[in-house]
Amino acid sequence: MIATTSGFIHPTVGFYALALALPFLPGKAWKWLLLLPPLVAIWSVMTIEPGMYGQASWLGQTLLLGRVDKLSLIFAQVFAVMSLIGMVYALHVDDKLQHIMACVYVGGAFGCTFAGDFLTLFIFWEFMSIGSTFLIWLARNERSTKAGFRYFLYHTIGGLFLLIGLLMRYKAVGNFTFDHVMPTQMMPYDWMILLGFCVNAAVVPLHAWLPDAYPEGTVTGSVFMCAFTTKTAVYVLLRGFHGVEVLAIAGTVMCVYGVLYACIENNARRILSYHIVSQVGYMVAGIGIGTAMTMNGAVAHAYAHILYKGLLFMGTGCLLYAAGTTKLDKLGGLVHRLPWVMALYMVAALSISGMPLFNGFISKTMTITGAAEAHRTWLAICMEIAAVGTFLSVGIKLPYFAFWAKPANNTMELKPIPVNMYVGMAMGAVLCIAQGLYPDMLYRYLPFEMEHMYHPWTVWHVLQALLLLGFSGLAFYITRDIITPHAKTNLDFDFFYRLIGRGVLALVSKPLAWIDDRWTEAYRVAGLGGLLTLARGTVWFDTKGIDTVVDGSAYTVQNVGVLGAKVQSGRLQEYLGLAAALALGIFALVWYLA
Amino acid sequence: MSLFGMLLNWLRSKTGLLAGLFFLGLLGLVGANVFIRPHEVEFVYDAYPGFWAVFGLVGGLAMVIIMKKIVQPMISRGDDYYDRNN
Repeated sequence: MIATTSGFIHPTVGFYALALALPFLPGKAWKWLLLLPPLVAIWSVMTIEPGMYGQASWLGQTLLLGRVDKLSLIFAQVFAVMSLIGMVYALHVDDKLQHIMACVYVGGAFGCTFAGDFLTLFIFWEFMSIGSTFLIWLARNERSTKAGFRYFLYHTIGGLFLLIGLLMRYKAVGNFTFDHVMPTQMMPYDWMILLGFCVNAAVVPLHAWLPDAYPEGTVTGSVFMCAFTTKTAVYVLLRGFHGVEVLAIAGTVMCVYGVLYACIENNARRILSYHIVSQVGYMVAGIGIGTAMTMNGAVAHAYAHILYKGLLFMGTGCLLYAAGTTKLDKLGGLVHRLPWVMALYMVAALSISGMPLFNGFISKTMTITGAAEAHRTWLAICMEIAAVGTFLSVGIKLPYFAFWAKPANNTMELKPIPVNMYVGMAMGAVLCIAQGLYPDMLYRYLPFEMEHMYHPWTVWHVLQALLLLGFSGLAFYITRDIITPHAKTNLDFDFFYRLIGRGVLALVSKPLAWIDDRWTEAYRVAGLGGLLTLARGTVWFDTKGIDTVVDGSAYTVQNVGVLGAKVQSGRLQEYLGLAAALALGIFALVWYLA
Repeated sequence: MSLFGMLLNWLRSKTGLLAGLFFLGLLGLVGANVFIRPHEVEFVYDAYPGFWAVFGLVGGLAMVIIMKKIVQPMISRGDDYYDRNN
């Protein structure tokens, strides 16, 4: 039912077909099939016309699997491109389960993007949750196992918010239609749905699952995860809740919060995870402000972010693959041994920093300019502060301490990096630069009509970006001995999540266990004794009551039978005497009663 | 070591030269800002030349010093803190 007669091949079909087929494919040639679903997805989203496709009935509900419009198409387009890059990067991986789960996850993201109703959205939302959990677990170590459980628990709770919201909404309005909600008419169920979306968007303080889980994923799995979960959430927020003021504030808080934590982190993939929180903050803020320019800025930034963040995770993934760690205090002095990893990483680092020539420059500035034009000055200033922090951490700190700091390191054992990993990174880098140089590559697909087109390539915009980033670089130069990473765990909101978890555990293991013990004792004393008494009573009743009645009847019948047998003696005179006695008795009874 | 790797290694030995070029570049940018101003003033003070330079420098310094010197000592624990406490 997903593929329709009108020619729309839903991208999910290819990914799920491959996930089902992979376990049965022998040899090694199956690896080339990994590229097929992304290529089909790219072809599909580039050729399909907007419209409604693929309705299906399930549990008495009509599911709309293919809502194709400008908004869903641009997200699907970048998902398709990123899935191809991710699959190329993962081609060397022999573990089929990793590929299967990547397919389940990516297919789920396409399902959410094209979902026309909440029920369809929820189903694919949960597929994403399952697929991504496995992408963490499949790193197959103790830390990833624990992180995967925490991640799954947290996303299950987020999914339950969504489920509760959509069921409450169904009860109130009688359908599962997924459309924009007017910010002034938000009902409690809308807030519940929004909460579910905010969990996946990593809105502070619901964000701590992200820096907890993404650093523990597989080398290739984290590349997929950094692209799809939060951006699917951005898409649904944009479709359902643009203009909701709380998102403007929450998004700006995310922008700053993420960079502050990244500033003090040691693990490279954890730094990048905090920068997902920060960069998604620009998008969430743009959605909350709700003007055409800020919303287009959110979409453009989501597109650019998927490409450069994927590239950043690919770069740090190479470090993890080659050196076995992404902790900056253990790295350093590797630039001459991993020069291309450094160079390709830097393309992404400059992109995320909003440096001219790279795609972050044409997307981030659109949101900030839109915020300023909407007279949200403080929000725009906070976004600029976040831009400073981004360049400090991802643009300079991470590559400096991973590749440059310390003398040339010739002793660290480095595993050779497969060619396909370089190819995947090069694909991402080419797109980051191409979009930066030719913004229309991206702008032509933006879904919202603007009063005037945004032009990033003005002399002032370039100079402003260079001033901001150049002097941020000077700040790093001055404080390079202070910002040196240390092997520490920085407490975040997950401290409180764990506290809640421990609280529940303590509640179960102590007060509830005590109540259970007391109840068992009370049952043993009162309940069991009562039951024994009841049993004794039942035995007595059975003996004295049931047995007396039943056995008594039997004995009576037997005695009557014996008496009858005695009476039937065969002697006529006894029969006559008995008949006379009976007649006399009956006559006396009748006479007495009359 | 690849040719590219050797080039980057050579650059490591020229940090003084690179730093000098960097400072010159920054001076050039501030000089350009005297003549090139925003089309529309967005934050009042950005009309003044050097505003974004000060913003980037002060913002960066404040962020690093506050987070590393004040906040991190308060919120950081041992690297294996959660491993030991779970």
